[in-house]
Amino acid sequence: MAGQIAPAILAVLAVGVLAALPLGRLALTALVGGGGLDFGPLIDRMMRGATQRAIFNTLDTALMGALLALLVGAPFAFLVALTDAPLRRLQGFMLLLPLIVAPQVTALAYMQLLGPSSALLGTLGLAPPPGTPNPLLGRGGIILLYGVQHAPIVFITLRAGLTALPRDYIEAARASGASPWRVLATVVLPLLRPYLIAAVALAFVSGVGNFGIPALLGMPVSYFTLATLIYQQLAQSGPGVLPQVAMLSLVVAGIATVGIAIQVMGQKRAGFAVSRGLPARIGLGRWRWPAAGAGMLLITAMLVLPMAALVTTSLVPTYGLRLSLSTLTSDNYAEVLLRQASTMRAFVNSFYLAGLAALILALGAVPLALGLRGLPLRLRHNLHGLLDLPYALPGIVLAIACILLFLRPLPLIGSLYNTPWIILVAYLMRFAALALKPVDAALGQIPPQMSEAAAAAGAGRLRRLWTISVPLAAPAATAGALLVFMSAFNELTVSALLWSSRNETLGVILFSLEEAGLSAQASAVAVVTVVVVVALLLVLDRLAGRLPAGVLPWR
Amino acid sequence: MRILLAAGVALAIVTTPALAQEGTLVLYTSQPQTDAQQTADAFMAKYPGITVDWVRDGTPQIMAKFRSELEAGAPQADVLLIADVVTMEGLKSEGLLLNYPEADLTGYADGLHDEDGAYFSTKLITTGIVYNTAASMIPTSWLDLTGPEAENQVAMPSPLTSGAAMIHTVTLTENLAEGWDFYEALAANGAQASGGNGGILTAVSGGEKLYGMIVDYMPIREKAKGAPVEFVFPTEGVSAVTEPVAILQSAQNQENARLFVDFLLSEEGQELASSQGYIPARDGVALPEGYPDRSEINVLNYDAAAALANEEDNRERFGEIFGQ
Repeated sequence: MAGQIAPAILAVLAVGVLAALPLGRLALTALVGGGGLDFGPLIDRMMRGATQRAIFNTLDTALMGALLALLVGAPFAFLVALTDAPLRRLQGFMLLLPLIVAPQVTALAYMQLLGPSSALLGTLGLAPPPGTPNPLLGRGGIILLYGVQHAPIVFITLRAGLTALPRDYIEAARASGASPWRVLATVVLPLLRPYLIAAVALAFVSGVGNFGIPALLGMPVSYFTLATLIYQQLAQSGPGVLPQVAMLSLVVAGIATVGIAIQVMGQKRAGFAVSRGLPARIGLGRWRWPAAGAGMLLITAMLVLPMAALVTTSLVPTYGLRLSLSTLTSDNYAEVLLRQASTMRAFVNSFYLAGLAALILALGAVPLALGLRGLPLRLRHNLHGLLDLPYALPGIVLAIACILLFLRPLPLIGSLYNTPWIILVAYLMRFAALALKPVDAALGQIPPQMSEAAAAAGAGRLRRLWTISVPLAAPAATAGALLVFMSAFNELTVSALLWSSRNETLGVILFSLEEAGLSAQASAVAVVTVVVVVALLLVLDRLAGRLPAGVLPWR
Repeated sequence: MRILLAAGVALAIVTTPALAQEGTLVLYTSQPQTDAQQTADAFMAKYPGITVDWVRDGTPQIMAKFRSELEAGAPQADVLLIADVVTMEGLKSEGLLLNYPEADLTGYADGLHDEDGAYFSTKLITTGIVYNTAASMIPTSWLDLTGPEAENQVAMPSPLTSGAAMIHTVTLTENLAEGWDFYEALAANGAQASGGNGGILTAVSGGEKLYGMIVDYMPIREKAKGAPVEFVFPTEGVSAVTEPVAILQSAQNQENARLFVDFLLSEEGQELASSQGYIPARDGVALPEGYPDRSEINVLNYDAAAALANEEDNRERFGEIFGQ
């Protein structure tokens, strides 16, 4: 098995660079004070009331949010992947929108939709009177928006699993007289379990690391999660703040580890391989249109209305003014697109950075996952868990780790600081888990017999990789790349500290505008972002015929 | 022709100081995006040989970036242009700032700048009251925010996240007869303290809150665009931050940094600030549209050194009152 060892070592090295390096640097700052390793301050911090409340709030909102995301995302995954409901492609397409809109923009759109100045509620005469606090502030709103924001993660992950479901299993069950519900319960769900667990775990971990939503909906009412508490600490900017922040980051890392461990335990009992056949399809009969209608209704309430609120805000001169024929203006678009050179630059920068990160991670995911599969089970699970951590940590923490790591010139590459490459490296660290998860799930379901048969027929390792693993994992790798691209394209918290002159990202521009009180201009940038990404997805859609089946999550 | 050229060169030598006028300048600033771009552009127009690389973020974030660089042993910035004096005072006491006592300060009131020349005030940003025009009570005094009409209707930036808001808090507690009781009353009246000024403007213009404490230029600028807000300079007076500029001890481009400071303090630099909607720090430069006369703005004083010394206590006290 000598051929197994080299790839495994490479995979371990990759995980080391992507995850162990930044975390180790943080732990160094957090735990090593003036004189050696010291756990005292960490324990001291854990005992504080504010920290404990934040830990509870983080667990609470991330868990409830993940369950809500499952509740929303799973039915759509079934509808789109398994049924013959009309409009399912459109619905799958639209459900991706929350992912391509930055969390703070989603939060802003919802607040605009439900607040006293809501154009929609105002037209219906339902707007709360001025002076009414926004109903979304606090725990409930955060959970609701986690559910919305992370539903696409559940949807994409589950859908990747559902397309791997062979049609013959379902047809066999149907032919033996099982009802669709019974097929769902006894065939589909058991086969889907590793994907279900992966989806909920991803949504949970995303919630733990989310900053934009609790910042907008929690901080105004003093409801803190760990991510916002860290921001608050950092904002106090005293000289001793870095070790404190690093310490709180370790707490977040601990929580994420628990979530990841649960996922690993679930997967241990799953992971049987099935042969791949034609994708399954369930006929809904007379329920086709009602199902489609219910889906459209939910999507309208969840996505279309907040987006409409965002568009409305982008068309008035200043936030708070009602949209009418006399107030309608395109000034905000002219300002951000024509007058501010930085916004156009940010579009290009974010596009390249997110695109490169997605490409590199998609290409690397299959060899990385295969390399890890050559390791003993326990070690492999631990390495997967380790790789999840940079995604679970608040981005601002990862950014600090990157500054500490890359500021001073390194041999061969020099200093990455003040170049766009430091953002790219941080993206690779942060989003590696998103790319790896679907690929690993796909590889786990390839029956080993296929590889053994090929080996018996004389195919070498590379040939087997190229003719078996890569084609079978390609849809999952592409799905992962899409997830990475869309998450990185409007990402804010990582680049907030890492950007430098002329290397600004879209998230940075949006945040600057919000911070300067220019909500109308910020809305215009957000609307343009959505339009650009939707246009990109439509181009992909036109190319669908030339891509492997199951690559595009909405087809 | 040659004589003309020689005369031109001689003139240039006489009128501009013989300093480095090429190379780069790295500026870390908390100015809004557009203003930072304009300031850099104006400076580069004046000194075409110098390229300004600027990075902007909120004061806490930009300081976090600077501190991380310092911790890693390679600070990048030459010049800091940030919101408040207290942060500068802290940097000065750590020996991180480079004094520039030769700076030309004609036209500035005494006491506006640091006496050692470690940092210089570039404008006045006052904090007053903003209200939504749908509000029934028109506030004229800070105490109006603790009245029954303002119950649960006041939003303010948190001094825990914003240096300028901390200075505002310190100024009001030092100058109002009520002292910290004013903040106790605000908290009891259901006032909300969080985030920065942008969020306050959004909350008040969106009607989620009727009143807010906020920096002057934001509501004045948005009112001109039609937002349903009004800005009030309360009768007791307003607090002010001065957006100081400072050269760092670790600056790689110290000569260019001095030129930049000179530029901001010059009449030209001050007129730029006014055109961006800020109150210029230099006397004799006109205030922008929408502001009352300079003589009608009563800026309250505060003790910057004490504010720095008591920073931690003030934070804790505020945090306790507002349950944060």
